[in-house]
Amino acid sequence: MKVLYHRQRISEAGATALFVVHDEPELVRRTMLAGLELPFPVLVDLDRTAYAAWGMTRASSLRIWGDPRVWLRYLNTVLHGQRPTRFGADTLQLGGDFVVAADGTIAYARPQRTDDRPPVAELLRALGET
Amino acid sequence: MSAPQVGAPAPALELPDLDGERVSLADLRGQPVLVSFLRHAG
Repeated sequence: MKVLYHRQRISEAGATALFVVHDEPELVRRTMLAGLELPFPVLVDLDRTAYAAWGMTRASSLRIWGDPRVWLRYLNTVLHGQRPTRFGADTLQLGGDFVVAADGTIAYARPQRTDDRPPVAELLRALGET
Repeated sequence: MSAPQVGAPAPALELPDLDGERVSLADLRGQPVLVSFLRHAG
């Protein structure tokens, strides 16, 4: 996830971050966090209670694997000489990005409908505007 | 349950981190927080 590589800009915005995963910690360390020192907590939600509470749904197989952007991303990974990382336990689980303002209210909400993410600049702008 | 809307109070979020330590969104009150639910670890 690209925003993981912008940790300094998150801090410069006077903000912090929480990343939530539903995979085992060992897999998260070996894949998502490989070679990355993240100064923000990565929270583990194996039974996806928080995913459900925040309205994170699952997509259909067709919606995920029928999306050419998914295939282009993996093709791009291979063309750059990298091996695609192993998938987590549930490839159909969707995620989402939220900015919680200092007063505890939602200032930005972007739940995923397919395998997409908002531009990093949009997230940083939302963090800076709260 | 549907995703929280802009302007609504954020739902509670308290989970263990990768080392098993409990982390709560409520403890971060007073600063903007990016909460990012990832699709999968890979």
